[in-house]
Amino acid sequence: MEHVIAKPGLYGRLPGALYWALAGLMVLAGLHLWLNGGMPPAGPWWQQQDIASLQFYYASLPRMVMALLAGAALGLSGSVLQQLSGNRLVSPMTLGISSGAWLGVVLAAVVLPDNPSLSSGWPALLGAMLALGLVLLLAGPRGLNGLPLVLAGMAVNLLLGGMATMLVLLHDQYASNLFVWGAGDLVQIDWQWAQWLWPRLLPVVLLLWLAPRPLAMLSLGVAAARGRGLALGTILLLLLAALWLSAVTVTAVGLIGFIGLLAPNLARLLGARRPLAQLACSAFLGAACLLGSDCLALAIGRWTGSSLPSGAVTALLGGPLLLWLVRRSMNAAQHTAMLQIPGSQRQWRKRNYLLLLGTLLGLCWLSIALAPGPDGWQWQWPDALLWSLRWPRSLVALSAGAGLALAGVLLQRLLRNPLASPDLLGLSAGSTLCMLLVAACLGRSLLQDGILFALLGALLVLVALLGLGRRHQYAPGMMALSGIALAAMLDAMLQTVLAKGTPDSLAVLAWLSGSSYRVTPAQALSLGLAMLLLAVLALACQRVLTLLGLGDGLAQGRGLHLAAARLGLLLLVALLTAAVTAVLGPVAFLGLLAPHMASMLGARQAARQLLVAALLGAALLLLADWLGRVLIYPRQLPLGMLASVLCGCYFLLLLGWQRLRRGGGQ
Amino acid sequence: MRRGWYCVLLWWVLACQAIAGGVDELRAAPAMPTAKRIVALSWEAAENLLELGITPLAVADADDYRRWVAQPLLPAGALSAGSRLEPNLELLASLKPDLILSSPVLDALRPRLQAIAPVLSIDAFRPNEDHAQAAEAIFRQLGRVLGRQPQADARLHQLALGFAQLRQQLQAHGARRLPRVQVIRFANASNVYVYGSNAMPVLALRRLGLNTTGTAAASVWGINQQRVVDLVAWRDDVVLYQEPFAEAGRLFVSPLWQGMPFVRQQRLAAVAPAWSYGGVGSLYYLAQRMTAALLRLPLLADQPVAANRASRRSST
Repeated sequence: MEHVIAKPGLYGRLPGALYWALAGLMVLAGLHLWLNGGMPPAGPWWQQQDIASLQFYYASLPRMVMALLAGAALGLSGSVLQQLSGNRLVSPMTLGISSGAWLGVVLAAVVLPDNPSLSSGWPALLGAMLALGLVLLLAGPRGLNGLPLVLAGMAVNLLLGGMATMLVLLHDQYASNLFVWGAGDLVQIDWQWAQWLWPRLLPVVLLLWLAPRPLAMLSLGVAAARGRGLALGTILLLLLAALWLSAVTVTAVGLIGFIGLLAPNLARLLGARRPLAQLACSAFLGAACLLGSDCLALAIGRWTGSSLPSGAVTALLGGPLLLWLVRRSMNAAQHTAMLQIPGSQRQWRKRNYLLLLGTLLGLCWLSIALAPGPDGWQWQWPDALLWSLRWPRSLVALSAGAGLALAGVLLQRLLRNPLASPDLLGLSAGSTLCMLLVAACLGRSLLQDGILFALLGALLVLVALLGLGRRHQYAPGMMALSGIALAAMLDAMLQTVLAKGTPDSLAVLAWLSGSSYRVTPAQALSLGLAMLLLAVLALACQRVLTLLGLGDGLAQGRGLHLAAARLGLLLLVALLTAAVTAVLGPVAFLGLLAPHMASMLGARQAARQLLVAALLGAALLLLADWLGRVLIYPRQLPLGMLASVLCGCYFLLLLGWQRLRRGGGQ
Repeated sequence: MRRGWYCVLLWWVLACQAIAGGVDELRAAPAMPTAKRIVALSWEAAENLLELGITPLAVADADDYRRWVAQPLLPAGALSAGSRLEPNLELLASLKPDLILSSPVLDALRPRLQAIAPVLSIDAFRPNEDHAQAAEAIFRQLGRVLGRQPQADARLHQLALGFAQLRQQLQAHGARRLPRVQVIRFANASNVYVYGSNAMPVLALRRLGLNTTGTAAASVWGINQQRVVDLVAWRDDVVLYQEPFAEAGRLFVSPLWQGMPFVRQQRLAAVAPAWSYGGVGSLYYLAQRMTAALLRLPLLADQPVAANRASRRSST
């Protein structure tokens, strides 16, 4: 197909294919209606009062229309975003926009529980704008057209998603009716949503008319576009339009990922090159994709006798498709893309070690001795029973923090990307997915012998990653993106499980938020030992890390076997992450933040960064564990989520402050 | 290598079978009439204690209990013991209770709970069991263990009388003519949870002598998620929905809903809230509220007074 692109003409070969495409869409639409209950009796619709016709005109037809509208809007939004950034991995989902919108809606539901008019769309739009703002701030103007933007999107995704989960956990009974919505449900009972959505999609027409010229200029590069008189305001306007499209869609149908990513890429694969052709094709393909996956959702629902949210099907299909796409489309430049995070010029001093160790010991004492009790705060050494309850948690927090920080340093040095974190490999997502699948298929409670399956899942992901990565010499970008795909699939699974609405749902959510609560003394001890062992191994790798830091060419010149070195380090990272996840559940952001803080303190040399980051990570997680125990006593906040949200917020503040200060200095 | 896998498999199978709880555990438990400081880590347990006339020292998620279960009333003095999934062990340890009533969700925590106080795990919701019968057995056994057998028997007798009264009330209005009764709870405007024959509301209906669904739901709690559209299949059924339902204003005006057979023929009624995953007390409150809802149905309320009198005369 690729060779046809050079053909002149606005659409390339599209008009010829248009008939086929339309015919295909008609077939899909027919299939959708048939799966959704069949055709009504013949006759004019306004005269029909029997239930089959009502079902057709008020359930099947609006669902089809909604699938088309939402799919087209998502495809278009993705296309605009991709053309604006020149990055084919950008979409409402990968930029964290959809989780921003989800956070907005959850927040609105919690603050105004009795107000059914969540349908205004504004909470979702505000959340989406917040997410995009954060991503742009993180990636910076130079990171727009590569992996950094996607990684920043992933980070924001994790942060906002974590916040939303925390809100749901704290207000479980209020928020439980949101679960179905969160899973991306296209089921309709009247035309209300369709009537709500279509006027809000009208800016589309304007977009198709106005956007092609600026987009064509942008495709020459930002500098060239500026030179030809493209105003920044135009770009912002286009961005806002794209945001609006995805925010209203999220409000109307919930979280539906991947369509916005797939449609524009498919459009390019099919030969659309000019901006207008890409926009139109993406909208069309988005509609077709969503309709198709909704057909599948209907078919599965019919077959198994229970309803399956469309968003879950999209994500389950979209994950593997994303991987395939990435392998096709990523070039070498994107594989080695770098992101600059402003560092400090501070020098490392010996007494910093003393300071760090002192802080750590102080925190240990705090977490053991200071706690609220039924009669107020108690500041004393605990008795034997309390001690036996406290030390495993503290030990697990310490060792997990150190382990994740080590994994973060290794990963960041390996991928040469300061935004890499253990979560990005998808290992924790993989192990969680495995546990969820086992629980769903065998109908067992998630909390029984979950650790076994967590480990199994992590190992499976590792094997898959190694298999995939070998063809690309374990290229960093590939690895990160498979992590993203896995995380999205996990999210879909999670939403499906939650949407079932049984009391088990909250147990799943609680486990997923990473709690040290259920840790037994034996687990704590073995995790501590494992971390100690792996830390020694990591320190032994410091020369390899230093060499890798010099660049591939230089490292190879000094006699380093690149593929072997990467494989070994990845294995180490995987082991660290799997051990922590199996015991604690997923903990995000710590692996990102600790290495960064270490280098801000001046520890930039490999061995020193490993050591300092491990100490920092341990201290941070210990603090988070203590806070989780005391903040909303007698209830408790899960350690993993608290750590993720705190670290994430700190990280964003830091980054934003530094960027602003640098911007002001110029 | 292969032997390693077998070991793993064996361990897993054994782990599956090691789950105790429910009535059996209570039956085997020795009586502890001196236990006064009792902690309830599930709402089912808290409800049972209150029905026995015992105020628990602490209840997991006590504030939410007051909002969602409401009846029987939890006195303000009862503390919150943390969440039902993760009760605060340190708080429990410093409360020094005589007995902890736990639930199977917390089975993994059992050794640590046992280090604090004796633990009894109770659970009426086990697969392939009649939850209502199990709830009654649990209540009786709990009364025996806590030395309150007379109170338990008296309360059960009282509840049985209550059920009889409700049943009579329904019969007097000709409930025998009622078609099958279904109970649902709305998730949102387009999805509902349908209670199966293994759910408490349906068991309550059956105890009221009403014709109700016979198919069990897949989940142990007895609910199935369905689309609102699928309710069309109920051609002749009476449908009760549990309040609150925030989006009632939106769903109930839609033409599709208006076209549902049970809406057209006014066989739909709202049920005041009661806890659907509780014990014997909740079962009765569910029955009470559903009876009130059924009696508001035109199908029963329009019953001519003469027929009422006739049935009353025949019953006396």
